[in-house]
Amino acid sequence: MRIVIAEDAVLLREGLAGLLEDAGHRIVARVGDGESLLAVVSEHEPDLAIVDVRMPPTYDDEGLRAAVQIRQLHSETSVLVLSQHIESRHVVDLVGSGGGFGYLLKDRVLDVDGFLESAERVARGGSALDPEVVKQLLAPADDEPLAELTPREREVLALIAEGKTNAGIAKQLWVTEKTVETHVSSILGKLGLPRSVDAHRRVLAVLAFLRAAP
Amino acid sequence: MRIYRVAVVVVFAATVALVVGSLVAPPTEEHRHLWLLPFVALATLTPSVIGVLIALRQPRNVIAWILLVGSLPTVRIVTLIPARGWALQWDRAMWPLLYGWPIAIAFVFPDGRLLSRRWRVPAAAAVVCFVGFVGLAMFDPARFDPPNESVHNPMSFWHAPGWLVAVWLPLWLGILASLTAGALAVWLRLRRSSGVRRLQMLWLAWAGGLIPLGLVWCGLGSVIAWWFGGASSSRLLYAFLLLMETGVAAAVGIAVVRYKLYAIEQLINRTLVYAVLTIILGATYALIAVLLGIAAGRGSAWVTATATLAVAAAFRPLRGRIQLGVDRRFDRQRFAGVRLVEAFEREVRDGRRPPEEIGVVVAQALLDPLAEIVFWLPASHSFGRATGELLPVLPDDGRTRTAVGSRGEPTAILLHDPRLLERPNLLHGVVRAARLSSEIARWRVEVRLQLQEVEASRARIVEAGYEERRRLERDLHDGAQQRLVSLGLQIRRMQRSLPREAAILVPALDKIVDEVGAAITDLRQIAAGVRPVRLDEGLASALADLARTSPIPVEVDAPVERLAASVEAAAYFIACEALTNAVKHSSASKVSMKVSHRDGTLMLTVADDGIGGAAPRRGSGLAGLHDRVAAHGGQLEIASPIASGTRIQAALPCES
Repeated sequence: MRIVIAEDAVLLREGLAGLLEDAGHRIVARVGDGESLLAVVSEHEPDLAIVDVRMPPTYDDEGLRAAVQIRQLHSETSVLVLSQHIESRHVVDLVGSGGGFGYLLKDRVLDVDGFLESAERVARGGSALDPEVVKQLLAPADDEPLAELTPREREVLALIAEGKTNAGIAKQLWVTEKTVETHVSSILGKLGLPRSVDAHRRVLAVLAFLRAAP
Repeated sequence: MRIYRVAVVVVFAATVALVVGSLVAPPTEEHRHLWLLPFVALATLTPSVIGVLIALRQPRNVIAWILLVGSLPTVRIVTLIPARGWALQWDRAMWPLLYGWPIAIAFVFPDGRLLSRRWRVPAAAAVVCFVGFVGLAMFDPARFDPPNESVHNPMSFWHAPGWLVAVWLPLWLGILASLTAGALAVWLRLRRSSGVRRLQMLWLAWAGGLIPLGLVWCGLGSVIAWWFGGASSSRLLYAFLLLMETGVAAAVGIAVVRYKLYAIEQLINRTLVYAVLTIILGATYALIAVLLGIAAGRGSAWVTATATLAVAAAFRPLRGRIQLGVDRRFDRQRFAGVRLVEAFEREVRDGRRPPEEIGVVVAQALLDPLAEIVFWLPASHSFGRATGELLPVLPDDGRTRTAVGSRGEPTAILLHDPRLLERPNLLHGVVRAARLSSEIARWRVEVRLQLQEVEASRARIVEAGYEERRRLERDLHDGAQQRLVSLGLQIRRMQRSLPREAAILVPALDKIVDEVGAAITDLRQIAAGVRPVRLDEGLASALADLARTSPIPVEVDAPVERLAASVEAAAYFIACEALTNAVKHSSASKVSMKVSHRDGTLMLTVADDGIGGAAPRRGSGLAGLHDRVAAHGGQLEIASPIASGTRIQAALPCES
């Protein structure tokens, strides 16, 4: 997998690069700001761009803006945005609006396997949404249809929202894929969502549902 | 020019010599009335001195020459003429000339020209009448009055025929007519003039007005003197007429050299007041003296004492009354202006009008729409308008500046039309009346300005506080937190590159990385407490976040529209504070937060269903809330009846 990293903290950038290289990926470019990121993406057309939200010059949200542009200009390049804090609803919108986009808190990299799995999923055109964000989306528990879910089903729903595949969910919950499939179809039924086979479409539907909730 | 100057000096020297001579050797019949001599000398010398003073500067000035020459025939030269009969004859005949020069001045004052060509007729007629009258009087064959009855009259050789009266009477009437014409000329010029010219005419009119006034005074004096068996009134009258000459000359001098020209209004005012006052007091005295005198006998000490006491007691109240009456009658504008300002001051005292309006009221009182009062603000080291606008430099737009308030440090400056300087009575009367209100207004303006400054600085401090929180939050996220992540990452990489035989370390390293992760979570929470990142996305997002982390259910109703960052931050922290309060003290089961934005005001309402009874105590959260709202120029209302929940409502001004 060919990867571009945009991160202004050099120590973290190198650590991240090393981690990905250890996992057998190729880092084609390392940059420290949004403008250079757009340049190297045009140049290398990588499979994945890992992007920090706050970068020079304004340390505001240039990473996010660059990510949006990359998704518009280079559909073959997926983007995984890393942040120090939980961003907003419009991150959810971004993740939910199409595949090849992910949003994670930076400390998720400490769970190396999970992080690599998310990065690969996003690069393949899937989604990754940080569990913290999902937790927030699921917070209004007194919501009618959500209240009908069993605790286990809620767990599964959260993992679906994060962008996990059935296999990923099964692995995380130490159950068989078959069990996960049962849970998923039950959840989709309770929420009135289409039982699509495509894992990615399923994430979009769940996110759309959660977003619509007050 | 030179010849004029020489002539001036010669005439003046002659006048002085004659006056000195008349003083050194006074006429015999005046030995009994030596007190009259200084009056005589004064009446001659004053016009002469003033004439010479003007003539030295403007040798061709007609007025100066009238003063110089006109006073010459009035010198009592009786003793200086060797022919005693002729001397006494002249002395007896020349008295109308005392009026000669004042009338001449009345005709041509102040520019030395007649009012118009038509005025040449009365002017010429006046000259004929005066010369004819005095000339005819020189032929008077009558004997001289005692003690000169023994002196031979050189005209005694004939008897005046009866028809002479037919010539004499028209001449006398002509003199009276020219006196009237002079008064008319002054009056006409006064009506047509303005500015400095008008003030000059006022001076002359004032001096002229003294003459009839003096006659009334003298009449009263004679009555009193006669009642108490005093001196002959004719001498008193004479002395008085001489004084009038001096007065007219002095007034003319002031008017021509324009020294203290503006004092005339005040002078007229005072003259009127004291004239009326003395006439009334004199009449009162005379009346009391006569009435009591009939009862107690003429010349009784009791009568004098009672009359004096009555007059003394009446003096002050009467003076106030008369001053008011004179102001009302003769200086309506001043009277009305001062009344207006005084009425305003009463309204200020009753709290019906703000003292800052004093400038407008003064402008109304002065009938000067451009008049304005600017206040001296010592703390700001500047002048300022009533609106609080500072004026480091007074506007230089042709308006004249008059200080309001005491000398030394003025309270305020009145900027006004320079023409008002011609009405010093009006100007100073109104300014004096406006003093107290200006003083009050100035302090109010000053305090308001200082308060504004304090409020602005408080807002700046709060603003800086928000900025500081933002910076701190950034530092936590991008500094410490970032470092911890790299640290954890390094450990992970090391862990993954460990040789198989070191696998025993893996659980320990996992534990360390877990700790690092926990530290990052802690930092994230601290950063969120310092300033929630979601505030960048708007108040609604931030409040939703706040609600999510609350231990009691919170219902948020906030519009998604964006407002000024400082207002959003203020509203957020107010909501935080209110929510913390509710959680800590209210035992509430639920809280509702409502935000609305209308007409430039953000309304934030936080209500709970708890026990109520909340009161802002010193150092309490609610007091802090109060400060926070006030710093933004907003208002806070706390309603917390016992057992009925607490409702906190903050209104913050904002421009969206």
